Amino acid sequence: MYRHRYHIRWLVLVLTTGLITCREPYAPPAITTPHRFLVVDGFINTGPNTVTTFNLNRTRNLGDSTVRGIPELNAQFSIIGSNGNVYPLKDAGTGAYSSGPLTLDATKEYHISITTTDGQQYSSDQVPCEATPPIDSVFWRQPFDLTIYVSTHDPTDNTHYYRYDYNETWEHDSQLFAEYAVVNGRLYEADSADQKNRCWTTDTSSNILLTSSAALTSDVIDSFAVLTIPNSDPRVDIAYSIIVRQYALTQGAYNYWQLIQKTTDNVGTLFDVQPTQLTGNIHCTSNPAEPVIGYLSACSVQQQRILTVESGLHDWTHNQPGFGCDTMSIPADTADPFIYTYANPNWAPYYFVTDAVLELVSSVCVDCTLVGGTTTRPSFMPD
Amino acid sequence: MHRLTARLLLYALTLLFFLQVRGQEQKRVTGNFEGYSFARLAARLEAETGYRFYYDPSDVDSMSIDMTLNKATVRQILDELFQNTDLHYSIDSAGRVFITRHVTIVTSLPPRFGGKLPPAAQADNSKLILADDQQQAEKNRLRQLLAENRIYEIGIRTARSGQGKATVAGYIKDDKSGEPIVGASVFADSTSIAVTTDQFGYYSLTLSKGRHIIRLSDAGMKDTRRQIILYSDGQLNVEMHEAVTTLKAVIVSAEKTSNTKSVQMGVNRLNIKTIRQVPVVFGEADVLKVVLTLPGVTSVGEASNGINVRGGSTDQNLILFDGATVYNPTHLFGFFSAFNPDVVKGIELYKSAIPEKYGGRISSVLDVSMPDGNTKKWTGVAGIGPLTSQLAVEGPLRKDKTTLVAGLRTTYSDWILNILPASSAYNNSTANFYDGNMRITHTIDANNTLYLMGYYSFDQFSLDNDTTYKYSNASANIKWKHLFNNRHNALFTAGIDEYQYNISDTHDSAGAFKLGFKIDQAYFRAEFTYAPDNKNQISYGLSTIHYKLYPGTYSPAGKESLVADSAVPAEQGFESALYLGDQFAVSNKLSVSGGLRYSIFNYLGPHDVYNYAPGLPRELSTIADTSVYGSGKFIKTWSAPEIRASARYSLSETGSVKLSYNTLEQYIHMISNTISVSPTDIWKLSDSHIRPQHGKQISLGYYQNFAANTIETSVEVYYKWINNYLDYKSGASLLLNPHLETDVLETKGKAYGAEFLIRKLTGKLNGWISYTWSRTFLRQDDPLAGEKINNGDWYPASFDKPNNFNFIGNYRFSHRYSISANVVYSTGRPITLPLAVFDLDGSPGLYYSQRNQYRIPDYFRTDLSVIIDGNHRIKQATHNFWTFGVYNLTGRKNPYSVYFIQESGTIKGYQLSIFGTPIPFITYTIKF
Repeated sequence: MYRHRYHIRWLVLVLTTGLITCREPYAPPAITTPHRFLVVDGFINTGPNTVTTFNLNRTRNLGDSTVRGIPELNAQFSIIGSNGNVYPLKDAGTGAYSSGPLTLDATKEYHISITTTDGQQYSSDQVPCEATPPIDSVFWRQPFDLTIYVSTHDPTDNTHYYRYDYNETWEHDSQLFAEYAVVNGRLYEADSADQKNRCWTTDTSSNILLTSSAALTSDVIDSFAVLTIPNSDPRVDIAYSIIVRQYALTQGAYNYWQLIQKTTDNVGTLFDVQPTQLTGNIHCTSNPAEPVIGYLSACSVQQQRILTVESGLHDWTHNQPGFGCDTMSIPADTADPFIYTYANPNWAPYYFVTDAVLELVSSVCVDCTLVGGTTTRPSFMPD
Repeated sequence: MHRLTARLLLYALTLLFFLQVRGQEQKRVTGNFEGYSFARLAARLEAETGYRFYYDPSDVDSMSIDMTLNKATVRQILDELFQNTDLHYSIDSAGRVFITRHVTIVTSLPPRFGGKLPPAAQADNSKLILADDQQQAEKNRLRQLLAENRIYEIGIRTARSGQGKATVAGYIKDDKSGEPIVGASVFADSTSIAVTTDQFGYYSLTLSKGRHIIRLSDAGMKDTRRQIILYSDGQLNVEMHEAVTTLKAVIVSAEKTSNTKSVQMGVNRLNIKTIRQVPVVFGEADVLKVVLTLPGVTSVGEASNGINVRGGSTDQNLILFDGATVYNPTHLFGFFSAFNPDVVKGIELYKSAIPEKYGGRISSVLDVSMPDGNTKKWTGVAGIGPLTSQLAVEGPLRKDKTTLVAGLRTTYSDWILNILPASSAYNNSTANFYDGNMRITHTIDANNTLYLMGYYSFDQFSLDNDTTYKYSNASANIKWKHLFNNRHNALFTAGIDEYQYNISDTHDSAGAFKLGFKIDQAYFRAEFTYAPDNKNQISYGLSTIHYKLYPGTYSPAGKESLVADSAVPAEQGFESALYLGDQFAVSNKLSVSGGLRYSIFNYLGPHDVYNYAPGLPRELSTIADTSVYGSGKFIKTWSAPEIRASARYSLSETGSVKLSYNTLEQYIHMISNTISVSPTDIWKLSDSHIRPQHGKQISLGYYQNFAANTIETSVEVYYKWINNYLDYKSGASLLLNPHLETDVLETKGKAYGAEFLIRKLTGKLNGWISYTWSRTFLRQDDPLAGEKINNGDWYPASFDKPNNFNFIGNYRFSHRYSISANVVYSTGRPITLPLAVFDLDGSPGLYYSQRNQYRIPDYFRTDLSVIIDGNHRIKQATHNFWTFGVYNLTGRKNPYSVYFIQESGTIKGYQLSIFGTPIPFITYTIKF
């Protein structure tokens, strides 16, 4: 090796202008070409005298600002049984396709057939009817936070794979009570039809809930956690009701839903999950290369509702909405104090101080609909 | 500092000493001294020079002199005569020459030092070689001539000396630095068998007793020969001179070691000199960048953590730095290799016929060696570059006994990143690294040598976001080379390696976290080489590695962080192997090499192992129960025999065909999380669920040299079968996953390709062109695994890059001007792209393409540099030159990373390119 005693390397000049370019948008044609893949969202309800509903929509591109799927309208949609029976579904005009009340023969297999307005044809594999076993119980436990559980079992040891969803409904009342409603510029004493003191909001589950008993010796689902409501959550302040629906799945459907569960549109962190590859059982028959998103299942639905009232909980921290409930006084109409023409919707009539002075309050404090929900009490909620 | 003073003193002494005897030194001797005894030579020298010789006749009576002198000084003659003998001489100011055995007589003490001579000088002055520059070249020539003409007696002369065979062995070293020469070819005129020196410069040659001429050659060194009379087993150490490059005709010797002669196939050897010739960014020599230009070697990106060899993944390469395993061989997001070029001696890359002593990875072995250090004097290299500064020193701690090599390198790239325009994504980025190396070589005696090495490298960077990445490699080992006899030697190695990384994100104070990962390993190897005759070279040995992996710790960063501490439990295992191999020369034309390695892996407790319901995919929901294993309990043992075989057949003097077959096992796996800005890698041991990777390769090569071996060409084709390569499942979560087996899939792989190389390392135009066509496909079609990737069809691996072209060229117009060019092209690596957003059951999700269906843009880069030498004299006080260059001449924005993030409700893709414009640089170098 040839070495000098000392070797000093001097770098005199590096032209650093624009030395390191940074990031640039990466948008190859694979990403920018419009991807309008068909998304088939729904299942065949094989329960007696039930309505089957599917939503058809299209995917959007990564950069699109639309927040929802693009509805696919006016497609020909039908369910076809292995016995040859055809059950057409009708578009309600929103991309939601529904059958009439049906009682399908659960011993037969079914598939769906779709022809979209652009002439493309889609068809699914034949799927068997899964008989969903009844829910044993839906219940809650509360060490501190409140968790809703479901338990079930299949005495025939056949189901093994389960999916759940739920609707939850809770009552949320206005912070202050105002007895007046405004109808055509006049104040009336509110009745149950136009009161805005008591509201009920209903929401549907947004998580995919899956569980399996495949690794167990018997087909038992014991205390599967459906959701957890953190302590002090206002949903349980007054009354809370949840209806949990149970769907039996085939193993293929379970695997597909599990992948959907893992896919997320939340990217960019260190802990992101790896890309998911979805291969469903619905295909584009006229163009086999075109992907279709969705997995057809046919099953009956089992459901159970429970009601929780605040008095049943322990150590529940009540969460005051904390609106700034400002008040102000306005002169009432001297001729008819019940004429109400105050234009600012942020204020609402609260009470009369005298015949001539009406006290107003911030609307949000007396009108629970401003927070959401409806003022009509669902029948299952306590009066 | 203390040592430096001692050295200055030594130089001063030397100078005084030299001036004193200079008068007589000028008297030169010319003539033919063939068949002279020492007494006769001494008498002749006394007559011609006026020196007086004092010696014990019994010390010199076995010496037979056979040389022709041309204006040689007495000192030169004696230096050569006594080289590699235990004889010493001293000359005093009165012209008296004292010849002694083992000891040197100190003839004069300069009065100004009070008659006290530093110990170093005492040891030194018998061998001080002092001449001005003009004399030095002539002196070297003469020394070489003397050595070549002298007859060396090897062994002990006895009555039966003429019968049978004996073995001559020894070290081949560079005469200037004392550095061992690796891979030098040694052969005797009387046989046609050539042997090559090992990694320590050691050779062993068995010959019939009697007189032989031994020829030595090595690329970059002047060919030389030694005449010996072999009586019995003995030692012959040879020093070779560096060849001074000439632009005129290249002197070619037919015996030159060539790629056509070695049995090894699929091996690339490069020494640091060649590595330094390749133009790289900012002119800083880089080991891995040069490896990447070799056929069959690719990288997944400009700045990726490592190399892909013959369609293998990055974790399938065993990267050894002086025996230590380096898990992350790169610095600064991969732009620099973690090997300081000043402390690298050379590299060997084994791609197909992997010697049986190596194991544990299924694709390749990259062996980076460190120099032993200059045994003769202290030398240093100090470099200041635009991004890094380095300092390396080497020299003797104790003359001819102990040498030291140490190097330190650091960066100030933070400074560069800080001056970037504010609009750049890098304005908030930081990057910084350093590494340090140390190696001590200690010769206990002729048969025992100790080597001690230490290595540490550290990196820290933050790229385009608030996440800080840190990683480090740390290694230390001790080696003991023991020669049982000339035919049989052993190398024992014991050492420890550690690799760890840390990721911290303090962006969101409540969620601020630190994530840590660490591998610790301790190993022992015993490697034996036995050469019963020149036809067989037997190697055998054993090795064991203890692995301890800490797969992940997650902890809060800062007081406000609400992150809870968590850790994935550590895992440990032993990987052990026994091997035996023989390289056998069947005839001059045919040689074969065969080896067997038996490797065993034990996965050890303490560990809780999940058992999954049989016949179902491994998911959290299919965990049937948990087995708890105590500390040191054997949880799972994997073992397999590994076969290594190769053969070479010479078609002619310049052409040969080689064939090799090998099987390999790998018990530690890397899973790379490629979706974030900076990939994070997880290593995982084989366990009850994750089987070892198994690789099998067959390859065939044809080698042909042209123009008197100055142009080498080769074509190699290969086919590989890979089993149990780990790919991830859809939606896999890899970081901090205590049950990784639920998120990975074992795939089958196949890789095949062809590699073409034309190489010319001498002459005005030198360099190489390589083209590699290679494909790697994986397949997962086992429905029990939970999902089939791409419907169970073969899909390209994430490192599948079909076309790779490299050109490295250097043209020397004259000794003063040369131009270097570097052209790199490769297909972009495959990527799985998110194509669309869908809404199903109330929640949005990303629809991805098929696995690895698309590719990132192709990689293309051209670099050019012109070197202007200030002065072309070989010997001069200072040596300086200018380098003008442009990195990435075409300014192509080659992507470093492609990733997707969510921004204001939509998902955006970005490609990050670094060095995406032409980067001109001017370097001025002074050496003195």
